[in-house]
Order: sequence, then structure tokens, then C-alpha cells
Amino acid sequence: MHSEKRGPAFWFLAGFFGLYVLFLYGPMITIVVLSFQGPQGGLTFPMNGVSLFWFEKLFAGVGVVDIWTAFGRSFRLGLIVCILTVVISVMAGLAFRRKFRGAGLLFYVAIASLIVPSIVVSLGIGLEFRILDDVIKSLGNALGIEAIQRGYTTGMGIFTSGLGAHLTWTLPFGLLIMFAIFNRFNPSYEEAARDLGATPWQTFRHVVLPIIAPSLIGVGLFGFTLSWDELARSSQAMGAQNTLPMSLQGLTTTVTTPEIYALGTLTTAISFSVIAICFAAAILVQKRRARRGSDAGKGVV
Amino acid sequence: MTDTTTTTTGTAGVSRRTLLKGAAATAGLAAGSGMITGFPAIIASEGVTLRYLGTAVNQSADIAKKAKEDLGITIEYVPVTTDEVTKRIVTQPNSFDIVDSEYFSLKKLMPSGNLMGMDSTKIKLADKITPVFTKGEIAGKQIGDQGTAPKKVFYLPDQFATEFSAEPTQWITLIPTVYNADTLGIRPDLIGRPIESWAELLNPEFKGKASILNIPSIGIMDAAMVVEAMGEYKYPDKGNMTREEIDLTMKVLTEAKQSGQFRAFWSDFNESVNLMSSGETVIQSMWSPAVTAVRSKGIACTFQPLKEGYRSWASGFGLPKTLEGKTLDGAYEFINWFLSGWAGAYLNRQGYYSAVLETAKENMEPYEWAYWMEGKPAEKDILAPDGTLLEKAGAVRDGGSYEDRMGSVACWNAVMDENNYMVRKWNEFIAA
Amino acid sequence: MAAPALTTSKYAPYWQAAPIALIFAAFFLIPLAATVVVSFWEYTEYSIEPAFVSQNYLDVFDGCFADLPNLCVTFKTYLSTLKFCLIVWAITLVVGFTTSYFLAFHIKSLTVQMALFMVCTIPFWTSNVIRMISWIPLLGRNGLLNDFLLSTGLVTERQDWFLYSDFSVGLAFVHLFTPFMAVPIFNSMMRIDKALVEAAYDGGASTWQTLWNVIIPLCKPGIAIGSIFVITIVMGDYITIGVMGGQQIASIGKVIQVQMNYLQFPIAAANAVVLLILVLMIIFAMTKLVDIRKEL
Repeated sequence: MHSEKRGPAFWFLAGFFGLYVLFLYGPMITIVVLSFQGPQGGLTFPMNGVSLFWFEKLFAGVGVVDIWTAFGRSFRLGLIVCILTVVISVMAGLAFRRKFRGAGLLFYVAIASLIVPSIVVSLGIGLEFRILDDVIKSLGNALGIEAIQRGYTTGMGIFTSGLGAHLTWTLPFGLLIMFAIFNRFNPSYEEAARDLGATPWQTFRHVVLPIIAPSLIGVGLFGFTLSWDELARSSQAMGAQNTLPMSLQGLTTTVTTPEIYALGTLTTAISFSVIAICFAAAILVQKRRARRGSDAGKGVV
Repeated sequence: MTDTTTTTTGTAGVSRRTLLKGAAATAGLAAGSGMITGFPAIIASEGVTLRYLGTAVNQSADIAKKAKEDLGITIEYVPVTTDEVTKRIVTQPNSFDIVDSEYFSLKKLMPSGNLMGMDSTKIKLADKITPVFTKGEIAGKQIGDQGTAPKKVFYLPDQFATEFSAEPTQWITLIPTVYNADTLGIRPDLIGRPIESWAELLNPEFKGKASILNIPSIGIMDAAMVVEAMGEYKYPDKGNMTREEIDLTMKVLTEAKQSGQFRAFWSDFNESVNLMSSGETVIQSMWSPAVTAVRSKGIACTFQPLKEGYRSWASGFGLPKTLEGKTLDGAYEFINWFLSGWAGAYLNRQGYYSAVLETAKENMEPYEWAYWMEGKPAEKDILAPDGTLLEKAGAVRDGGSYEDRMGSVACWNAVMDENNYMVRKWNEFIAA
Repeated sequence: MAAPALTTSKYAPYWQAAPIALIFAAFFLIPLAATVVVSFWEYTEYSIEPAFVSQNYLDVFDGCFADLPNLCVTFKTYLSTLKFCLIVWAITLVVGFTTSYFLAFHIKSLTVQMALFMVCTIPFWTSNVIRMISWIPLLGRNGLLNDFLLSTGLVTERQDWFLYSDFSVGLAFVHLFTPFMAVPIFNSMMRIDKALVEAAYDGGASTWQTLWNVIIPLCKPGIAIGSIFVITIVMGDYITIGVMGGQQIASIGKVIQVQMNYLQFPIAAANAVVLLILVLMIIFAMTKLVDIRKEL
């Protein structure tokens, strides 16, 4: 790479990279192809004709499971997880730049949250909320609060216990990435801002944030993706409603048709569009930065 | 449930329902016979939403849609796996309003105190429920009751009892939704000779092409059928093995696994269909609608009746103890509606059996009834509820009639006294 | 880590760290504590009862020490899980490192870099469940791979070992989890000052020497983080092993899941505690090699 010429090393690595991409997309391609199966087609080859039949069925609602409700639910949850992950990780990242009591403990808790098998965390959260329900109900009865006695069923839900479960999964990732970001962050920019009389908030808003912004897109994407795909941690913690992966898993108990592939094709198509938009946004930020002549925070994540 | 909701306006309900169905003959029969007098008022539970926990197998969008039309009740399905249903009842009893659970789980569910007994006086057709459940017999003949046969766990001494009653009482644990008799599914085209015994599952001829299901409490029953068929041992009660019997059964399975007999284990419906239709397996334990699903792809698959008999299962509606008020009324209303025929016919057409046969029959075409329930050759093409062709005219249902199939049940899915030990041994088997 | 204060208040880190700490306390520590407590409880088929017994742990290691040198089921299961862990870790490391290296050092344009990076991440938005089952039509006995090999005459009969085997499990792991390795490594590489690399070449170092003495040491934090991700995910996995292994391969996550399905929470909790201790030990050893916080 010290020479501008593309040597054999480049082509070898390019070939390797190409194979890896092929490996990534190979099964995706089978999904896409099989999703165009004819009405008699199954989940495996051979193709029984070509049609849009399974997409039509998909939009009409997959068999028994209300896939679109679950889709919307998972999407909303993913967005909230994404935003909270970014905000909370940035705050925590800032905190970790200085010494504070319990910093080491907090770090190990974050790592532990990552490595405790998801199914255990999920079970624990399920148990916790069950106890909470009992406490609230008995309080309601003891104090005679009618709203609780009549209307309260459970505190569990996608946006309470479910959200919490997902955050225990995304925040450690977010925190680790923030470490990476702030460790390479040149503090002289902040010093300069402070010397010019900026308040801490102004320094953060106008100096730190713009520099780390592209990396935050990465954190957000990571948060969303992890939440969107999360299954094990959700299993005991979602209460009555299912997220998309849970519905999909439920679907595999009945659906034996390429509808499930049609859904895969569709989510991939949507992913492509979303990523393309984010990508365009990131390039825009880069361009603006290039004009300003700073190269800090250049990493994608 | 208040008096107003139990007041019946049978005719209104029937005419509306049957008009929608548009089967004139059946309509005349149903309205004329006045059998469904228990059909509840439509308005009472308008607007109620029921969170319906169960396996996706029983959760049909059509049934929810029909219930909405007829009752104004919104059914919100929560589809999970068989084991997960049990777990949610025990650990998250607040997360559903009505549950469709297997009877064999009841030995775990009732002692948890999270379900309540259902008041049979509020179930209009309670006395029409097939004697398979209430007495363990069919057409007056006793059927096999090894394992957790529904009759053993059908009644409770009082509403909030945690033990079962041997005698019929007012309180019912679960109101049956569907049940069936399971056996081995085979690919006759790839096997090419008759299969008559459970012992064939472990026949080395099918090395690498057999499968059983990885739900321990069901898998071990299939294994027990095999062990008995091979003549290795005769169990006093397959559904309640001693530790020694469990060890013996698992030893047979483990030896087979280590010699490469099994291609895979399946844990859900979809996996079983895919294994079979892609030719990965040619013989495996299977569920009736899964066989139908393979066949509807144009692949030969037989739900093979075997000389040792069937392993049967049943599931039914239960209610969480905390359910009250309008939701409780709505749940009873939904259950009454479920038994009143439309849903039963719908399930029968998928190859399941429904709880109240009379009402289901009224909602099926005579040729459908003859094919699914009487074991007669199909007069016309047999269609699934969604209109896909299941069988061409002239086909006969595997295993024959309702009485033939349910009458040959040898054992039921079960929870054993030594369940914990069994699960441990099953985990060892998977690891072996 | 000795960055200057963002604010002058010495309490700032506390309120900044408060949200993350609260979330971990509410949704991780308390549930985990519950799990540990429950691992000493007694259980029946339908209930768990407060007690303080070590029976669950004894059950986990039933016969493990008496039967040595024969491996008991628990040891076998852990060994099998560790085996997958090691293989998958090695492969994802090589693949992740190589692809990242290509992206970071051979692609000059930042835009192309990011575009290719995105190409690598897009498949991860399709549900894991769907991506796993999509291997089945490829690898099955009558799948495309077998068709291809038969038609080219490379094999004479259909191969069974592509699917429902250690091979397919490993393949799916690599397929699903390589990005968890690649992303942190790529991130580390992007932060390497290119002048350092140039300097190494100018000093006469070969490509390999530069790689070994400059790039890899600077990538260590990324490698460490990626390794933590991959190892922890594989150690706790039960879904991938279940689907791709035809439910025939044991994993410790699967054991826990089956026990939980059968409401044997205390023994499942005991297994979880054992697993947790083991994973913590691995991670601890790794942090001895690389101080992640310092070197990030």
C-alpha cells in the first residue's frame, strides 16, 4: 500500500473480500429467488413456477400471525432503543472520560450484561416484573385504589420490560464504541473552546458533538439492528405482545410456504433503502467537514 | 357473568352466522333443529379484546375474523411454542386472557394455581363434549389411557382447586379445542414397502433418514412406542415411567443416535414439514396437518396407521385465575361460540378433531364429513379452509374414520411423576 | 483515558453515568441477583420454593468427578460449546481481520470504504431466523450444493454432512457473527495513523513485518472487543445450534433453555451461574492480555 500501484496483495485481498460478500449474500440470494416461487412452491428448490403470489399473500397478512403489527412494534421499539442507546451511551462515554467512584464496577457490569446468556437475563426480568405486579396489586388492594384493583393487569410490556431487556443488550455495545471514540478524541479542541469562554454545554454542543456525530450514526445503527434482531433476551420479557423475530419464530410452527422468504426479501430491500439514506447523510456530513478541514472522528463507527 | 349476557337469542345468532356461511342446506338444518339454542347474545361483549395465548397451529386468522363478525370480540393472538405456553402460564399469568394449552401440561399448570376451573353451567354445550374427554371412551368403547389421558385431568373438585377430581363436577379444567391421534409420517415413494410398526423408526434400513421430535415429554412417548414395538420391554404405563424405564428408553434412543439413525430432531411443525418434503427424512414422528402440508406440495406422504396404535394429544381453552368482569364474560362467550360449530368445522377440515361433533357436522358439507370423519372415499375434491386442494376425489383419509383412529389410541402425551429426571436424561441424550 | 473535564463540576460524571447505571441496575443486576438466589432454591414441576440447597449444583455436575476420566454430560456439553467457540472465534478473526484490512488499507476513497462497509452490514437487518433457514435449501441432501457437486462429478453420492452437522453450525455462526468481529477491528484500523504505516515501509519493513509489528498491535483493542462479542454470543447460543444442528447437538444454552421450558428454573439458574463464571474467567484472561479501556 505504500506504492500507488495495485499489487498482487490488493487483488488477493479484493478476491477474499469478494468471496466474503458472496458468502454473506449467497443465502440471501436463495431467499430472494425462492420468494418468487409459484403458488405451489415450497421452502426448498426446485422452483415451481415464478410469481409474486407470496408477496401478495404477505401483504394480505401472513397466515395466522399478524405480521405487520409485529413489524410496526419491532420498528418502534428499535427506534426508541436506537435513540436511547445513543443518548445514554454518549452520556456514559463522557462520564468515563473522568475518574469517578464505581467506574470500574460499572464497566464490569456492562461487560457482564453482554456475556450473561440472554436467556438468563430474560428469565430474570420476567421474574422481576412478576414480583412487581404482585406488589402493585397488593398495594392497590391495601390502599383501596380502584384504578389498580380494576384496571391493572401487568407492568410487563414491550416498552417497559421489553425495552429494558433490549437496552441491557445494546448499551454495552454502545459504551464500548464510545470508549473507542473518546479515546482517540483530541481534547485540545475542547480546551480551545473553553479558553474562548464557551460553557460546558456549548463546548459539547458545538465542538464535541459535531466531531463524534458520524460515529453516533454507527452507534444508532448498531442499536437498532441489535434490537431489531433480538430474540433470546425478548423471549421472557415482552409480556403479551410479540416482537417481529418472536412472531417469525412462532410462524415457523405453522408457515411452510415461501411467504417467510418474501418477508426476508422485503426486509432486505427496506434495509438497503434505509442504509442508502443513512449513507447519503453520512457523506453529506463528511463533505461539510472536509470543507471545514477537520478529519476528527473519521471512523464509520 | 351477568344475567344479561347469558340470555340467549339463539335464532338471531344462528341466522346471522349461517347466512354469512352461505351453506343453505346446513343453515336449514341448524336453524330447523334448533340445536344451537345456547348461542349467546351478540352485543354483550362487543368491544372486548381477548389476548389468546397458544401455539400458532390452532390460531387461525379466519377464526378470529369470524369471531369478530359474530361476537364483536377482538381476538389478539399470541403465538408461541408448545413449551412456551406452559411456561407463560406459570411465570406470566397476567399476560393473556384465554389460553389454548395441552391437557398433559395440566399436571404442571393446575398446582401453580394460575388457572381457574371453568363453570360448566356457563358452557352451553358442556354435556355435548365428546366422551373421549369426559369418559375416555368412544362409541361406548374404552380407549387407551396410558399417560395423561384428558379424562384424568378434566374435572376439578372446586373452582380454584389445585388437584383433579376423578368424578365429574361442575368445574372443568380446559374446554377442548382440538385433539388428534399421532403416528409416524412416511414417504411411501422413497421407502417402497409397507410400514406397519413403530419399530421401523429405528430400523437401520433408514439410517440417517429418520427423525423424532425434540419436545422431551412427547419424544419419549414416541420412543416408548418404539421400544415396545421392538419387543424390548412392556411398560405398565408409558406415560408414567419409573427411573429405570426412563434409563432403558433413553439407552435405546442414545444407541440409535450414536449409530447415526437420526437425520435431525424437529421441534416445530415447519421443521417437520421441511425435513419430510425435502427428502432429508423418510420416516419420522409427525402431526397430521404437517402430513397434509407435505402432500399439498405434491409430495407423497402417508400418516401411517401402525399396529401398535396411536399416541394421542388434546388441547383446550383455559382461563387465568385473575380474569374478571367483562373480559371474563367475553371469554366464556368466545368459548361458547367456538363450540357452536363454525370453528369446529374449520378445524375438522384441517384434519384435527373438534370437541362437539354434532355442531361441527352441521357446519360441514356431507361429503366433507364423510371424508374427514367417516373414513369414506372423497366424493369430490377435498379443499382446505383457504381453498387449496388437499385431496383429489376418491382419496381416503389415512387411518380411516374418527372411531377407527381415536379408537386405536394407545397412549396420551404425558407429564410423568419423574418428569425432572426425564428432562435431565433427555438433555444427556441430546448431548450424547 | 486522562481526558480533560468536559465540565468543571466534579459531580458531572455521576449524573452522566446515572442513566446507564440505573438501567443496568433495574434490568440486569436485580434480575441476575434473582437468578443467583433462585439457583439455590428447590423446585417442583410447577413451582419454585425458597430454600438454600446446593442440590442444583450437584445435579449439574452429577457424576462428573466420580466418572473421570470419562466425561460427564455437563463437561461434554461445555467442551462441545468451547470447541465451537474456538473454531468460530478463529475463523471470524481471520475473516474479519482480512476484510477489514482490505477496506481500511487498500481502499483509498472514504466513500467507497463506507459503501463497502455497508454492503457487509446490510444482511444483518434480515432476521437471524430467516437467514438461518435460508441455508437449508443450499446445504440439504437435495440442496443446491449437492446438486452442483453431483453434476460436476466431484462426489458420486449425495453428502449428508453439509446440513445438521458441526459443519453447518459453524458455518452459520461465522455467517451470522463475523461482523461482530469485523466492525471493532475495522474501527481500530481506521484510527491507525497512516503516517505510522508509511514510516514503517520507509524504514524498510516488509508488508508482513509492518502487519505484524505495527498494525496488529494497534488493532489489539478492536480484536479484543470483537473476540468478547463473538465468544459471549457463541457461548450462550441455543437458537443457531438448534436450527443448524438439527437439534442434535448439545450446547449449554440449549440445556438451560430446555430446563426453563420445563420450569426447572433453579437448575437452569445454577447452569447459568456456572456458565457465567466460565465466561467471566475467559474474559478476565483476555483483559489481562489487553486492557481494553486503556487501549481503545
